[in-house]
Amino acid sequence: MASSQADESLSLTKIESEGRWVNRISKLDLLWFAGLTVTVGVLVDVFNSQFWFWQYVVLGTWYVTLVAVGIHWRAFQAAFLTVVSAALLGIWLYSIGQTPANDVILCYVLQGYAGVMWMIGFLLAATGAYLIYLLTLSEKVGRVATGLTWAGVLMGFIGLGVRWRETYIGHPDWGHVPVTNLWEVLVVFCAATALFYLYYESRFKSRSLGAFVMPLVAAAAGFLIWLTFVQHMDRIAPIIPALQSFWMKLHVPMMFVAYANFTIASLVGLAYILGDRSRRSGGGGILARALPSGEVMDNMMSKAIALGFLLFTIATILGAVWAAKAWGGFWSWDPKETWALIVWLNYAGYLHARTSKGWRGKQMAWWSFMSLWVVTFCFLGVNLFLSGLHSYGKL
Amino acid sequence: MAKQISGDAGYSRARLAINFLGSMRLAVSLLVLLAIASVIGTVLNQQQPYEDYVLKFGSFWFAVFRDVGLYNVYRTNWYLAIVGFLVLSTSTCLIRNTPRMLREMLEPDLVVGSAYDPRWMVNNVKITSPLAIQSASNMVVAVMRGRGYRPKLHESNGGVVVTGRKGRYNRLGYILTHAAIIVFCAAALYNADIPVKLDMLLGAVRPENNFHIPLSEVTKKAWLSDNNPAYRGTVTVPEGQSTQVVYELVGNGYLVQPLPFRIMLKRFHVAYYSTGMPKDFISKIVLYNNEGTVLKEANVRVNHPLTYHGVQIFQASFVDGGSLLKMKRYMFNDPGAGAVDEQARVGQSINLSGTTYKLKLKGFSLDNVVPADAIESQPGAAHKHINLGPSFTYIAQSKSASSAEFKTYMQPITRDGQSYFVQGVRTAFGTPYQYLFIPTGPNGSIGLFMKYLSALQSQVGVNSGESTKRYVLHTFKLVVNKYAPSMTTEAEALYFQSAISAILQLKAYPVPFVVTLTGFDHRWAAGLEVTKWPATVVIYWGCAVLVLGIFILFYLPQRRMSVALRALADGTEVIVGGASSRNPYEFTKEFEGLVARLKSVLQSQDDRKENNDG
Repeated sequence: MASSQADESLSLTKIESEGRWVNRISKLDLLWFAGLTVTVGVLVDVFNSQFWFWQYVVLGTWYVTLVAVGIHWRAFQAAFLTVVSAALLGIWLYSIGQTPANDVILCYVLQGYAGVMWMIGFLLAATGAYLIYLLTLSEKVGRVATGLTWAGVLMGFIGLGVRWRETYIGHPDWGHVPVTNLWEVLVVFCAATALFYLYYESRFKSRSLGAFVMPLVAAAAGFLIWLTFVQHMDRIAPIIPALQSFWMKLHVPMMFVAYANFTIASLVGLAYILGDRSRRSGGGGILARALPSGEVMDNMMSKAIALGFLLFTIATILGAVWAAKAWGGFWSWDPKETWALIVWLNYAGYLHARTSKGWRGKQMAWWSFMSLWVVTFCFLGVNLFLSGLHSYGKL
Repeated sequence: MAKQISGDAGYSRARLAINFLGSMRLAVSLLVLLAIASVIGTVLNQQQPYEDYVLKFGSFWFAVFRDVGLYNVYRTNWYLAIVGFLVLSTSTCLIRNTPRMLREMLEPDLVVGSAYDPRWMVNNVKITSPLAIQSASNMVVAVMRGRGYRPKLHESNGGVVVTGRKGRYNRLGYILTHAAIIVFCAAALYNADIPVKLDMLLGAVRPENNFHIPLSEVTKKAWLSDNNPAYRGTVTVPEGQSTQVVYELVGNGYLVQPLPFRIMLKRFHVAYYSTGMPKDFISKIVLYNNEGTVLKEANVRVNHPLTYHGVQIFQASFVDGGSLLKMKRYMFNDPGAGAVDEQARVGQSINLSGTTYKLKLKGFSLDNVVPADAIESQPGAAHKHINLGPSFTYIAQSKSASSAEFKTYMQPITRDGQSYFVQGVRTAFGTPYQYLFIPTGPNGSIGLFMKYLSALQSQVGVNSGESTKRYVLHTFKLVVNKYAPSMTTEAEALYFQSAISAILQLKAYPVPFVVTLTGFDHRWAAGLEVTKWPATVVIYWGCAVLVLGIFILFYLPQRRMSVALRALADGTEVIVGGASSRNPYEFTKEFEGLVARLKSVLQSQDDRKENNDG
C-alpha cells in the first residue's frame, strides 16, 4: 500500500514536471544560451572601458532577446550563427588586406554590395516560387520557396554586416551603421520583412501566404535595383552631424522591423479578404483551397500588429530620446514624427477595436490592409513629398 | 419628492456623461479624429513667415486659414481640445476600470462562482475517468501545476473543483499603458509653456513683431519671467559676443526669455569630410553669471548638448557673424583709374562712390569644396574633391532698381594652364549662376587685364587704319611689355586667348564694375537653442511604463482553468473549462494540449492500476 502511494506521488511529480517549460528546452538551446552568455561576457571584458550605461542596457537587451527568440524559434539559431560567421569572415578578409578587386569571395559574395544583390536575386526568385506554389500547391515548390527566402534573408543580413565594416575602410571617420539612406534602409526592410514572414510561416504552418507577402518584398527589391543602377545610392557616403548618434542604430532598424510586421499584417489582411470572397462564391477557387482558415489569418494579423505596435512604440520613443539630444526637443511635430503618430494612433484604434469591442473578421482585415497605405506613406511618402527634419531618405 | 427626482435625473445625466466619456466608441473616434487632424500640419508647412502664406493663398484664404490656426495646428485650441478629450476619456476608463481590475487581480481564486464554472467557460470538455475522485483530482492538480496554473482545490456540493490561473497581472498592462499616456500628456502640456499661453490669453504678455530693433527697445510686455518653469528658445551669437536672453517665436512675433546666466561664444568651428560635406559643428561656449564668474566652459556639438542646472544648450545652426571683408573694386568704364579699396562687414551695405550702385554683402564662406571634375576636364577626377577656397556673395543694386547677385571666389582658379578670377552672376534669384572667367596675370590679380582693357579703350580710334585683329594683338603686346615683361611666350598666348573670351563675356555683364576679395577677418555666429524642460524625466518614465504595459498586455495574457470533478459509480466525471483574456485561438491550442494530456494521464493511469490489481 505504502509503495503504491509512493509510486503514485512519483508519477504525479513526473506528470507535473512534464508540463514545465524548462523541460521543453533542448540541449541545443542550452548550447545557444551558453554560447551567447560567453560571447556577451567576452564583449563586456573587451569593451568594458569604452561602454557607458546605455551600451550595457542595449547589450543586455540584445542578450535577453536573442536567447528568448532562439529558444522560441530554433531556426533562428542557425540563421544567426550563419550570418555572424559569414560577416566575420568578410571582415577578416578585409582585415588581412583583401579587397573586392583582388579577392573572388569578397567580390562575388561577401562584400556588402554583392550580398545585397544576392538578396535581391533570391527574394525575387522566392516570390516567383511562392506564386507557383499557390497555383500548384506542390510541396516541393513550397520548400524551394521557403529555402530561397531563407537564402535571401541570410545574404541580406550578411551584406549589411560587411557593409558596416566597409564604411570605415579608407575613411575611418565615415563609419556608420548602414541605416543612413533610402538604399540601406530598404535592404533592412526587405530582409526583415522576409525574416518575419518566415517566422509566421513556420509558426502558423501556412506557406500559401508567401504569395501575398513576398510580392511586396519583391517590389521593394525592384525599387532597390532602380536605386542602385539609376540613382547609384549604393555608394558609401559620409553622414551629416545630426545622424552621428548612438541612438541611430537602435531607432532606425527597430522602426523597419516594426514596418515589416505591419506590412505582413496588411498583406495577410488582403489574403483574408480575397480568401473570404473565394470561399463565399462557392469555395472551389484556388484561394479557398490554398489559404489557411480565416481564424488562422485573423490571428496571424493580430500577432503581427501586436508585435509591430510594441516595436513601433519603442522605436518612436527611442527617436524622441534622440531628437531631444539632436534637435533640442523630443517632439517637434516634424512631418515624419506626425505620421509616426498617425500610424501609432491607427494601430492603437485597431487594437482597441479588436480587444475591447471584439471585432474580428473581414472588417478588421480591411482595416489592416488599408493601414498599409498609412505605413507606406510614413516610410516613403513623407520623404518623397514632404520636407522636414527627417529628409535623409530623399532621392 | 420633486427634489429627489431632479437629483435622480442629475445623477443619471452625470452617469450618462461618464458612460459617454468612457465609451470605446468615443475613444476610437477620438484616436481617428486626432490622426486626421494631424495630417493637416504635415501637408502645410508650419510656422513659416506670414508673408509666405499670403503669397500662397491670397489675402482672403490667408486670413481664413490664420483664424482656423492652420499655420501652427498643433498649438491651436481645437487641437489641444481633442487631445484634452482623449486624455479625459482615457482617465474616465482608467478610473472606472482600475478598482475592478485590481480587485480581480488580487482576489484569491477561491470564489467558485459562475466565473469558475467550467461549463460556462469558453472552452470546455467533459472526460470520464475510471479513477477514484481522489486520484483523479491529484492528477488534475499535477498537470495544471506543471503548466503554471497554480491550482487550488475547493470542495463544492458533493464534488471537487480545481481552479487555477496564470497571467494574473495582465490587467496591470491595461492600467500601466493608460496611466502612462495620461502622465505624459500632462507632462508634455506642462513643457509646452501653458502658463505663457495663459498670460498671452489674458493679455499680460504680448509678442513683439518688430525683428529689427535692439533688445533694449523691445516692449516690456514681450519679456517673460526669469522663473518661467519651461521654455524653448533660440538665439544667434557671433563669435566673441555673449547673450543673456533667448527668443521664442510666437505666431508672427517673438517673446524674450531671460536666462539665468550669460552665454559667450568663444569660437565656432565647422569640420569637414574630404568630400566637403560638413562633419561636425562645434561651438566653444562659456557660461558666466552676472558677476562675471565663469560657471562652465564646454563644447556644444550636434547630438551633444550642454546641460547646466536643468537648462540645456544645443548647437542648432550657424551663419556668418559679420566677417570683415577687404575688397578691391575695378571700374570697367574707367579701367585705367586703378582699383578702389572697399571694406565692410557681411550684412552691411556700402555705397559705391562715383556710381549709382549700392553693394549689400550677403554672405561669406570660408571653404568651397566641389567635385574635381566640375573644374578640371581630366577623366579619373570623378571621385576627387578640391577646395576652391573662400568666396563671398553680394547684391549690387542701382538707384534705377535693377539688381544682380554675385558669387566671387577669392583665389584664382587654374584651368588648362591659365589662372582665372572666377565670378558667378545672376540677375534673377534662384536661377543658376553664369560664370565669368577673367584671366589673372603673374601677380595673381586681374590688374593686368584691366590695364589691357584700358589700353584698348583709350586707343580706340587712334589707329583706325589698322585691322581690328592686328590692333588688339598689338595693344596686348604693348601692355605686356610694359606691365608684365617676365611672361613667357606661351603664357602670353594663353593669356591673350583667355582675355579675348573674357572681353566677349563682359558684353552681357550687368554692372560697370567688378569687386574682388583681397582679405578677410572671418567671424562666425552660432545659432544656439536653449531649453528648460523639467518634466522631461516624467515623460521618459511614462514612456518606459507604456512599453512595459504594452508588453504585459500582449504577451502575458490571463488564462483561467477550472476543472470540476464529480464521483460516479465507477470512476469520476471530469469537466474541464478554460478562458483567456486574449488570443482565443492560441489559448484553444493550449487548452487542447492540456485536455489531451489530462485524458492520457487519467486513462493510462487507469490501465496501469488494472494491471497492478491483476
